[in-house]
Amino acid sequence: MPSRVGSAKRVAVLSIAAVFAAGCAHADEEVSIAPLVPAAGRVDPGLGPGTRALSSGPGYKGSPSWSPGGDRIAFTVDGYVVDRLTDSGDLRNWTTRDFIAEDIEWISEDTLMILGAASPSGTEETPSSLYRARAAEDSLELETVEKEVSAIGPGRGGLIFALGRGAFGSGLALTRGSGDVHRLYSKSIKGHVASLSLSPDGDEAVVAVRPPGDLETSGLRVFDLRKGIGRELTRLDGNQEIVGTPQWMGQYLYFVAGEKDKPVDRDGSEPLYEIYRVPEEGGATEPAPGVGEDFVAASIRVSPDGERLAVIGRLSPKSPTNLYVLDPLAKDLTAVTTNEDMEIKTGPDDLAWSPGGQSVAVIARGTPSTEPEVRADPADRLLRDFYNLYEIPVDGPEDAPR
Amino acid sequence: MRDIIFWLSGAALAFLVTAGAFLLLANLATAPSQKRLNPEQARAGSGQSVDLILDREQLASLRYLPDQSLTLEVENEGGEQLSDVSVILSVFSENTALSNFRYYRKTVQTIPAGEDARVRFEFDLLVREEPVARPPTANPEQSREILEIKATTPEGNSTVRTVILPP
Repeated sequence: MPSRVGSAKRVAVLSIAAVFAAGCAHADEEVSIAPLVPAAGRVDPGLGPGTRALSSGPGYKGSPSWSPGGDRIAFTVDGYVVDRLTDSGDLRNWTTRDFIAEDIEWISEDTLMILGAASPSGTEETPSSLYRARAAEDSLELETVEKEVSAIGPGRGGLIFALGRGAFGSGLALTRGSGDVHRLYSKSIKGHVASLSLSPDGDEAVVAVRPPGDLETSGLRVFDLRKGIGRELTRLDGNQEIVGTPQWMGQYLYFVAGEKDKPVDRDGSEPLYEIYRVPEEGGATEPAPGVGEDFVAASIRVSPDGERLAVIGRLSPKSPTNLYVLDPLAKDLTAVTTNEDMEIKTGPDDLAWSPGGQSVAVIARGTPSTEPEVRADPADRLLRDFYNLYEIPVDGPEDAPR
Repeated sequence: MRDIIFWLSGAALAFLVTAGAFLLLANLATAPSQKRLNPEQARAGSGQSVDLILDREQLASLRYLPDQSLTLEVENEGGEQLSDVSVILSVFSENTALSNFRYYRKTVQTIPAGEDARVRFEFDLLVREEPVARPPTANPEQSREILEIKATTPEGNSTVRTVILPP
């Protein structure tokens, strides 16, 4: 009997020990996960190794634009325009804080061309003006270059912009040197120019047009800057619209289009926008090669070497937004970021290649919380809590000359 | 019979010990309402001797209305009494184009070593009208309000907490 009691005691002790061990193991699994450190120069790894922040703190950033030499980057913050050195330095203001800029382009190392409105009284229906700002000047006063300007784009040695010509037509103009208009194309383009960009040789411009009477930007036209004449490339049917700026790459024009105001599907997915291309001579519009059927595109930008497209979009309607690089010749879409917890901004002007084509600037933030968030840094050092600008390195094509 | 009694008492003992252990673990894991909401514990520098303790429930109860209040605790983490600790609350919008920066300052006369002092701020959280005519490139979202709290000792050691309130 004593031996049976002894073994029972051992069983009881072992049982208690096992219960303790199990309890302790469970507790270890429930250790709380510390939130990410929001600042201190570290960038969320979801945006990839080598990513660096080009801004911090509160403010709704947009429209990044690299200086020609690539050592500075300008962008909008809540509408006003700032720039900074890419490797260090404080923000430098280019406009007063009540200015609302839509787009900005450098025309030299110390001159910015700014499309926007000088006061909040402007509306979408009231066209913005084109302004010139010089870094050397002490005041933030802007010089008006042209009124009623609807779109701007980098030009060869200057800027190209579209200006309103009444309610149903637009004109084009080129600036050179210090930003003065040196050529004006009075021949009207029928409709409202929503965006434009130049051909690789700079002799032609492609414009996305909202035709007279249409509610959507549905037409794509090419304008010959030498001859001063334009032609229609394509026009989308139905409720389709072109978003952002068409990009000229090789013999094709690439653009993002989709059905506007399409009701949200039953599964909650958003309307789909795809990348299309059309030959520069005109012809059938087709989906861009190398992009999957489910891909949802938001914005595109052609690389400085003219061989790749930076694309912000999602692999499928339910995937997170990421940065991709499309090589249409190789029919290859490469994911540059594999982020899952950052919201990359999808505005048409919210990405920009660096002049050398080694990196792309995007704007991103962490998913906002519905609860108060507490951080151990001053607000102006926080990164992921607000939309901020990031420089993301992009591998060049393997056969690219170095 | 003795075997049955022994097994029953052993099982009961094991149950009690297990239940006690889980109760202990549960108590350890439960966070009190008032806690250090500063998991990152970023320090301004060596020699810092103040900490800021915020109440999560109180932060969640703040509304975009006038007459809001926030009580926080300034803790003296050092071994000596602190005097004249400055506490500044800055309230501003994440929309940097709006010039609505406000700040409130309080001074804590003394905090004994290892103890804390309560500081209460009263302020307005107002829903500000965004400029109506913003084009799409300006901020289309409703701005959040930010509370930045900074406690500074006369020696210059400081601690900062930034609270981002949902819209």
